[in-house]
Amino acid sequence: MTIPETTSSITAPVAPVAPVAPIIPQPVEYAAETPVTGKVRLEAAWGSTEGDEDFTTTTSSAPKPEGQVFKPQYQQWNGELNPRWMRNWAILRHHLLGIFKKGHRPWGMPIRLYLLVVFIASLSDVGLTLVSALIGDSGLHSIWGVSRDNLYGHVLGFFPRNMLYYPVVAALLVGGVISEDRQHGTSALYFSRPITRFDYVAMKFLSVALIQGLIILISLSLYYFAEIATMGRGWAWIIDTLPMFLATVFSAILLIFTYTSIGLSLSSVSKGKFFPGIALLSIILGTKILAFIVSNLFDREILYLISPYDCLAHVGQAIIGTQPTYDQYSWTWSLASLVAMNALALYVLTTRVSSMEVTRE
Amino acid sequence: MQDDLIIKTTNLTKSYGPHVALNKLNLSVPKGATGLLGPNGAGKSTFLKTILGLIQTTEGEGTVLGLDIRTQGDEIRSRIGYMPEYDCLNPEMEAIHQVRYSGELLGMNPTIALARAHETLQYVGLGEQRYRNIGTYSTGMKQATKLACALIHDPELIIADEPSNGLDISARDYMIETLTNTVKTGNRSVLMASHLMDDVERVCENFILLHKGKLAAQGRIEDLKAFDREIEIHVWGGASRLEEAMIARGMGVRREGRVMRILHEQEDTTSLILQCAADVGAQIRRMHEYEASLEDLFLSIMENLGYEVKTSEDLLSSPAQARKVDAPGYMGGGAA
Repeated sequence: MTIPETTSSITAPVAPVAPVAPIIPQPVEYAAETPVTGKVRLEAAWGSTEGDEDFTTTTSSAPKPEGQVFKPQYQQWNGELNPRWMRNWAILRHHLLGIFKKGHRPWGMPIRLYLLVVFIASLSDVGLTLVSALIGDSGLHSIWGVSRDNLYGHVLGFFPRNMLYYPVVAALLVGGVISEDRQHGTSALYFSRPITRFDYVAMKFLSVALIQGLIILISLSLYYFAEIATMGRGWAWIIDTLPMFLATVFSAILLIFTYTSIGLSLSSVSKGKFFPGIALLSIILGTKILAFIVSNLFDREILYLISPYDCLAHVGQAIIGTQPTYDQYSWTWSLASLVAMNALALYVLTTRVSSMEVTRE
Repeated sequence: MQDDLIIKTTNLTKSYGPHVALNKLNLSVPKGATGLLGPNGAGKSTFLKTILGLIQTTEGEGTVLGLDIRTQGDEIRSRIGYMPEYDCLNPEMEAIHQVRYSGELLGMNPTIALARAHETLQYVGLGEQRYRNIGTYSTGMKQATKLACALIHDPELIIADEPSNGLDISARDYMIETLTNTVKTGNRSVLMASHLMDDVERVCENFILLHKGKLAAQGRIEDLKAFDREIEIHVWGGASRLEEAMIARGMGVRREGRVMRILHEQEDTTSLILQCAADVGAQIRRMHEYEASLEDLFLSIMENLGYEVKTSEDLLSSPAQARKVDAPGYMGGGAA
């Protein structure tokens, strides 16, 4: 095999294409003694030798620029940290805003939906007051309008409100408030920061209580003000009914406090949200049913003292001034029982929260 | 010198009933990165809780960043970034909001906390992933998020409890690099509790070794490693003769088959080894300096030196034989 000899000389100046590293043009010359390369063979095969001796080519032989990894730089921060009230506000805000928007405590969609349903259902009194005002029938208004019995009924009364509304709302809310901090270890985030155990419990308590309060107290207030607005009630009526309205507000606060303290104590002994929720419902509804059965079978009402709902109802009836349905013992016994229940629940809650670990749970 | 100390304890004792978790601990931790070592039950967690001001000491006193651990717990926790060993994140929250909330818990304004959360997540390598739910994160990403939570307020001291726990090699490397970067370019101090000696070695200049609530050793890792230099040789033919010859010359030798490690105590140890090999007609196929890992040294201290308090100076002044990292009996080592 003969290799065609070539005398052509190719100069290949390379244009500096890469801005990063200037490329020095390296002329390549081919002659007889030049070792055979692909370029020479290519030239031999395709070169016409007519004017293409001066053939020049521009090739992009610039080396591929190396990638650069940008190493993150530590950014210092010279801001001031706010005092205790701001830290507590952060906990409260985190739990409250979680009901309405993303980025805060993630309450589940079923919980949020249930709260909405209960809120709308709690406004039924308002709707009925408006209807009775529109119809203008005093008979209807005496059934639906503001009265001692209806105010009591709004907070503590009658099925399904006493069974399905507020106990279930409390159970859904308290379920994971502390237990999930145990489950996910997020308690370490709180306690490795300047948050005291008292502040932690107080803010969790307050946030759950406020959410319940938003439903119960706002709907109660709307009911009362709907009556004033639609029936054109004057100052005399307001002065006359305000004490029973305030007594109802107090009953509602007592209910919220009791359900929250029992619920949070259950949440503090658990690592999931199911047990505290179901246990709170069992305590509220189970004791009520048990006391009801015993009362019917043996005509003994004393077991109502172990039922949080019945104690609340009894105290509520006394302070609002409705006809009492528990007549075998004084309402002060129910009040004492409520105090004892709350004390026990808060004791369990504080003991369990003070045992929550930062380093290991 | 006193100003350079970030943690100082004097006779720090913590008892739970009859159980003494920390026993008269006298520590001086300088600025920079310090590794907190010790087996399970050594008192590491109790020590961390004590310096965070979360539990009351039974006896003794201590300061962290110049603040009293008995009375200024809140202030200490404001100036420390704590990265717990275990999960401490809500899996249903997005990382950006979790980090922001951790800043708010320190008293940061929500807007500032959010801006700072972006910065810290970028710094720990989660810039592009910050709007994902933490529940979908890998272990490495969760660890990085925990670190971001600890760094959000730019603390003077970061306490990282097992920061590379459960991470794969690349995630571990990244975590170690980030911590190192925080110390070197951020000029922050890190107290790193870990059982992975390798990681401690890569991040820290100093170490504290706890055992059964007592301080077993403390000092510079470099010093610790310096006291136990050995030369490793691979011998072909006449290994036993060579071993005998070197022992006869008073050299510290331990052997496993053809591999021997000789204590590098003198300048001319290498020449002496070669001389012995020439005398007995043994071939040395390979010779190199053997640097004990921190793990070897850890075992050495625990097994050979007892658990009394030791500083780097104590270790360096111990007799060579006592400092020997001895191999177990089945490997040809002598009794400790």
